[in-house]
Amino acid sequence: MNFSSALEIAQIGAYGLASGLYLGFHLGGMNALAAWGRRVFMLAFVFHFFDIGARCLRAQHPLSSTAEATAFVAWLLALGFLLATTRNRLAAVGAFAAPTVLVLLVLARVLPHEGAATFRGPLATTHVLLSTVGEALFALAAILATLYLIQERRLKRKDFARMRSGAAPLETLDRLSARCVSFGFPIFTLAIITGAVLVARLGLLQRSGSLRPEYVLAIASWVAYGGLLMARRGAGWQGRRAAWVTLGGFGGALLVLLAYFLRDLA
Amino acid sequence: MAVELIVLGLSHRTAPVAMRESLAIDPTEAETFVKGLLNLPAVGEATVVSTCNRVEIYAATTDRGAAFDAMRSHLAGRLAGDAATLGELDVHLYRRAGTAAIHHLFRVASSLDSLVVGEPQILGQVKDAYDLAARAGSAGVLLGDCFSRAFRIARRVRRDTEIARQSVSVSSVAVELARQVFDGFEGRRVLLIGAGKMADLAGRALKAQGASVAVTNRTRARAEEFGQRLGFAVEPFEELDKAIGRADIVITSTGARQPILSKADLTRIQKARRNRALVIVDIAVPRDVQAGASEVPGVYLWDIDDLQKEAASGLAGRREEAEKAEVIVEEEVSRYLQSQRGRGVAPTIAALRSRFLSVAKLEADKTLAQVPDADDRTRKAIERLAESIAAKLLHNPQVVLKKEAAGDMADVLTGAVAQLFDLPVLDQPDQPTLRHSTPTNQAAASLDEAAPSDSDPLAQAKP
Repeated sequence: MNFSSALEIAQIGAYGLASGLYLGFHLGGMNALAAWGRRVFMLAFVFHFFDIGARCLRAQHPLSSTAEATAFVAWLLALGFLLATTRNRLAAVGAFAAPTVLVLLVLARVLPHEGAATFRGPLATTHVLLSTVGEALFALAAILATLYLIQERRLKRKDFARMRSGAAPLETLDRLSARCVSFGFPIFTLAIITGAVLVARLGLLQRSGSLRPEYVLAIASWVAYGGLLMARRGAGWQGRRAAWVTLGGFGGALLVLLAYFLRDLA
Repeated sequence: MAVELIVLGLSHRTAPVAMRESLAIDPTEAETFVKGLLNLPAVGEATVVSTCNRVEIYAATTDRGAAFDAMRSHLAGRLAGDAATLGELDVHLYRRAGTAAIHHLFRVASSLDSLVVGEPQILGQVKDAYDLAARAGSAGVLLGDCFSRAFRIARRVRRDTEIARQSVSVSSVAVELARQVFDGFEGRRVLLIGAGKMADLAGRALKAQGASVAVTNRTRARAEEFGQRLGFAVEPFEELDKAIGRADIVITSTGARQPILSKADLTRIQKARRNRALVIVDIAVPRDVQAGASEVPGVYLWDIDDLQKEAASGLAGRREEAEKAEVIVEEEVSRYLQSQRGRGVAPTIAALRSRFLSVAKLEADKTLAQVPDADDRTRKAIERLAESIAAKLLHNPQVVLKKEAAGDMADVLTGAVAQLFDLPVLDQPDQPTLRHSTPTNQAAASLDEAAPSDSDPLAQAKP
């Protein structure tokens, strides 16, 4: 086994173990599991970082293919989670963040690593980078929104016994989710613009005669997030409604990623 | 007899509140009380823990019987000579000595002996008691050792168990539940509808955490009196909707026979608030808020049953955690006793080492005297050889003594070593000794001879 494969196995194993520990904490409420989950997650994050570095040396940088970009989304998501947990009680988010990182990483590793020939050059690189960062922020927003909905439901149902499972207050979850969308939206907007320019330059639209489903989905997600931001600021939207729209927007963004996956697999 | 820790006192477990009140020691008179303890026969070091739930005297003594009698009389002096009450005192007092006293102190500091197990105040109160002893000049090696160990154990219990994490009173449960919605109370608006006792407690707890509290009541004068007394603002009851519209947390406890807030009222209010989170704690019986109101978006409604259930579950949870904490305390008591025994072999090892090295030096000197022409290198080699032989011979006895220090054989082994190698009478400088003597205390006086009081500035300070 070479160094790279060992790193790959180590990071996937560590993320898997961290997911198990966080889930155990979420279901059983043992604080020690969350503490160990965080330690193992950080270890996995470090392995992941070195793996990205090692791949860069082999010219498989994060923007070289959908697979590498997905692995990078996973790493950014892990980074965002670790940063968010430094100042907030977000151990319960780990039960969602760690498995999401794990799934993204496993998907990235099963995909072929060759980049699509149509997406090369500085503009394509910028587009992939912006999309990647935007997706990572939306993924984190979606995880926080999911936890918000779960916690809110428990509060409404007076399920007090399961509420003390390390989750931050509803207000914190809502605020952090809104912040992720606020940062992600301008980045995703630039990704849409660069993507549109790229499509126009390559004449993809003329060739296929209509918009591909992933473009439509990307625009729909962008509209959902834009609408959410306007509703939050203008109409004071927050809480449950905002959480559902965040999830809807991320659903669209996830489908875009899936469309690229399927295309790469094909 | 060795110096040991003893405790004499009464607590909520053994004495009614009237007795505890009679004996409670005001902070202003505590120092005088503790200084008085130092004048008692057989009492070396001493301090007192006085809270609303316990009055306990901790002391170091070599004669527990005499010390208990003297401490009991000193404490009884506070009952102003009422014979009936004095007789009753003995029924409520408990006495613990040695390991039992250490165990008791560790349990008290860890809040395992508290009325509400896990409550955090007791650790501060035990710390105050030790500070008091330090100020009064009545703290020495034994109290210092036991109390500092008790503080560490209490911190460990809080860190390693969930004993203090669950709320057990209705008002604290209400505050804890509101914390699941808001990420802090700084600047939050709290509205109290009605001026009841529990609203008062929760309102004060939230105000202490930075919330601004307002009160409203059907009787304006009552609201004003309540608000003035507790520093809360007053809102007119006629504008209840507006007041709720501005609030983040509403605690309602009126005596109304019918709900004062319906689901429709709250739907209307929430619409105006754009469904901003609103926590409503309804502690009134019958309830002030219509049950279905919890379905209104953004409204989190809990009634007295919910709070009481949660408080009961918190109490049960604390009891479970208390079992884990008891194990920790047991462990720590054993560890403390082991460390105390370990200290006992140190003087024997030091004396043995000194004896071996002096023999080695003597023999090396004798050998060197027979070879006057030996150069420096040879002399040093002979000295090193002698020391090295002594060190090798010492190695195994030292290891065995250290290993057995905490066991039952420690005393037998140290005695045997002293006898076999003709070691001098051993002084044990690390062991606690009584800090002072009194003319009436022969036992303490004899110990003072072993630990001269002139080496002890606190003993000199004693009147």
